[in-house]
Amino acid sequence: MGALGHFLEREGIPTTGISLVREHTEKIRPPRALWVTFELGRPMGIPGDAPFQRRVVQAALDLLARTDGPLIADHPEHVAEPADFTGWACPINLAPAQIDSLAAEVDRLATWYDRAVAALSRTTVGVSGLDMRAASALVDQALAGDLPEAQALKQAVDDLKSYYLEAASAFPDAGTPKTRKEWFWSETRLGAALLALQPRLAASDNPQHRILGNLTLIPAVERHRLV
Amino acid sequence: MVKRLSEMPEVEANHLRRIECPIYEDTPPLAGKPLGERRVAIISTAGLHRRSDRPFRPGDGSYRVIPGETPANELVMSHISVNFDRTGFQQDLNVVFPIDRLRELSADGAVGSMASVHYSFMGAFPPDAAEPHARHLAGLLKADKVDAVLLVPV
Repeated sequence: MGALGHFLEREGIPTTGISLVREHTEKIRPPRALWVTFELGRPMGIPGDAPFQRRVVQAALDLLARTDGPLIADHPEHVAEPADFTGWACPINLAPAQIDSLAAEVDRLATWYDRAVAALSRTTVGVSGLDMRAASALVDQALAGDLPEAQALKQAVDDLKSYYLEAASAFPDAGTPKTRKEWFWSETRLGAALLALQPRLAASDNPQHRILGNLTLIPAVERHRLV
Repeated sequence: MVKRLSEMPEVEANHLRRIECPIYEDTPPLAGKPLGERRVAIISTAGLHRRSDRPFRPGDGSYRVIPGETPANELVMSHISVNFDRTGFQQDLNVVFPIDRLRELSADGAVGSMASVHYSFMGAFPPDAAEPHARHLAGLLKADKVDAVLLVPV
């Protein structure tokens, strides 16, 4: 990110930006950066909190007045940790043992996904261009030993994950993003499928499959689940 | 709360420590007009694009164009990394791409005006792959009379 600040400012475009990882910004030294302590993936801090987000944008833009850079300013506001939902369990029965196929699990979630889309008036599913049945079929194909092209599989998996997590956000007792991710990786058939696919992709002769298996399939914080 | 790497969970901190950061000579910040007279564009590195655009691929240093009036439901994310939260984006586009906040600041007069077009890269780019695209983009921004850019990582 900070690299773009150098590239654009050298071409005559003044820049300011958000820093999510202070140590990275301290090395890259872009012209101006506002360091925030928010979770990676949430550079404006809190979804749905327009005043909070606006203060972040304003603070970053205010740095444009300064020419004493490279500079890193610390944003004064932080996001409180969400309440701990220890003991939270998915309110509808989706455990892999009760469902005989990935396709059935995908179908079971459709109602909840539809409710989420209605509530949010949007969906972030749609990178692969596949419907979720077709996307899950691609995962089944990979599990059966016939690895699809890496990019197609990656896009199908990312769409499925968005579909699952959007659906879970509409559950009657939806918990927190953290508990929903725990549900995804520990209780869903898809989560188990991705963990099972990882070693096969990592052992592939195809370098794109190896990148997917080693880097872009399982989040670093979930790799402890790999056996 | 994400703090210093030394205060983060070890697995996440180690992942971030392994990311190689490019080193540049310092770029002097340019002086400019007061914010209330500037035209501002957002450049995200979240790998955002319209549904009909080509998704990003590993090593992709190019950008996608996001017209200011693009409906939120038209934007999807094809960032290759799995090491950041996407549930915030699923809930609210603006937590990643604060286009409505910029629109409000512009309407209030705090910002002079909003660019007609905004952009997204996919942040896992090798810097050398992105530099020619960024230089080209600078020309497009000038053509849109943009004189301030808000860079938003993910």
